[in-house]
Amino acid sequence: MWGKIKNWLEIRIGLDGLMKTHLTEYRVPKNINILYTLGFVALVFFSIQVITGFFLLVYYIPYSEMAFKSVQDIMGTVPYGWLFRQMHVVGSSLMVVVVLFHAIAVFFMGGYKKPRELTWIVGTFMLLITITFCLSGYLLPWSQLSYWATTIATTLPTAFPYAGEIVAKLMKGSEQVSGITLNRFFALHVMLLPLIISVLVGLHIFLVRRIGISSPPFGKSPEAEKPWTEYRHVSHPDGYSFFPDFVLKETIMVMVFCAVMFFFITFLPTLLLPEEANIPADPFKTPAHIKPEWYFLAPYQMLKIIPNKFLGISLQMIIVLLFILWPFLDTAEENNLLKRPRLRWLFFVSLILWMVFTIWGKYS
Amino acid sequence: MKRRRFLNLLLTILGLTAVGSFVYPLVRFLAPAGGKAEAKQITLKKSEIPVGTAKEIPLNNTPAIIINRPDKGFVALSRVCTHLGCLVEYDKIRNRLICPCHGALFDLEGNVVSGPPPKPLPKFPIKVESESILIG
Repeated sequence: MWGKIKNWLEIRIGLDGLMKTHLTEYRVPKNINILYTLGFVALVFFSIQVITGFFLLVYYIPYSEMAFKSVQDIMGTVPYGWLFRQMHVVGSSLMVVVVLFHAIAVFFMGGYKKPRELTWIVGTFMLLITITFCLSGYLLPWSQLSYWATTIATTLPTAFPYAGEIVAKLMKGSEQVSGITLNRFFALHVMLLPLIISVLVGLHIFLVRRIGISSPPFGKSPEAEKPWTEYRHVSHPDGYSFFPDFVLKETIMVMVFCAVMFFFITFLPTLLLPEEANIPADPFKTPAHIKPEWYFLAPYQMLKIIPNKFLGISLQMIIVLLFILWPFLDTAEENNLLKRPRLRWLFFVSLILWMVFTIWGKYS
Repeated sequence: MKRRRFLNLLLTILGLTAVGSFVYPLVRFLAPAGGKAEAKQITLKKSEIPVGTAKEIPLNNTPAIIINRPDKGFVALSRVCTHLGCLVEYDKIRNRLICPCHGALFDLEGNVVSGPPPKPLPKFPIKVESESILIG
């Protein structure tokens, strides 16, 4: 039966050739390591978000009077509704972790350097879209936590005179966060953002395939050492096959992250859903000691200690801009971080600062 | 004018017209519905707010607070923190208004004492009569 299907497809799309070109004879560098699997893990977690998001949509009601109750019903009444919601909630945080780790790994390996600047830029936009996904999805349960987190996020643009007020009102659709905001964020979360990220994922994979996977900077192949004066595809002829060798590594990493996800769901179910997540939104009461999600704790703490709102938000925007445009700022040919003491210093200091601000934000 | 140049020009004009004709309705579509809510006044009994206490009220859809200060009498302030829009709470012991989000402190005149807010809390006009207070 399988042979007949295979033959049917072979005649129509040349399946064997396709498998050889893109899987079995597609080579990855011989010295590739486990950090190179994170892009695939991110793709798998995005798929988990799409599937669990679809299941939640079956019961979720995007109307401010009903949203909170519908989410509570998903958690308490719908059989295994809690499981799909927890997978969606924990999965979203893990997706941020994976995309962040991926970006850090690419930075560490110097994978953003010529000719892969575009791949890096598309990747950074994917990270920003992932965070926008989290932010827009955060409002949908219409809880105290979601309401006030969104109030803060939609007030951020007002740091910029004139245009900021207009942007904030366009985001909210009203003076305060309201049912209109919920509808906007819902439309953004389930329609526009999936469309944008799908295009970016396609473009990212296209660029990786078109140029060829970058080699780790430790023990590079002569092919990767040649100067980039014109377009060429790095084929790694002496490398491992993508399938099954590299796919096996990727699958192991996916299983690691899936194990982490189910560990959190089983043993720490309230970690990402604290008490305020189970109280319906009250526009006349901000909960005491409200904190953002872990990935916003560092920016939150920065905003807290910088005494000027415009300065605080501008500084964060500059950091994001530097991150996006980094390949054009670091044009040195050496991509081994271990041979670049100043960049190594910058890399570790930035990481430590981010961790310090995150912990400080959590306990301040 | 050459035919190719004319066609390029025509394409640019048509393209800009099409984009403009789409963007303008889109911005209008996404912009909040016009028309401000009619300003309403609220009357409270003085006895509802003893000295040293406060009462939270919605005033024209804006969360507001009326405080009966021991030394200076009544004051009506917006509760919306001028930093990032969270609602301040009255702390009777510290005699301050505190924002739970980024820890800003305001005095009972609405002035920023510490923290990142760029400006004071807006004040609402109040009229104190013998038995009641008129706010707004």
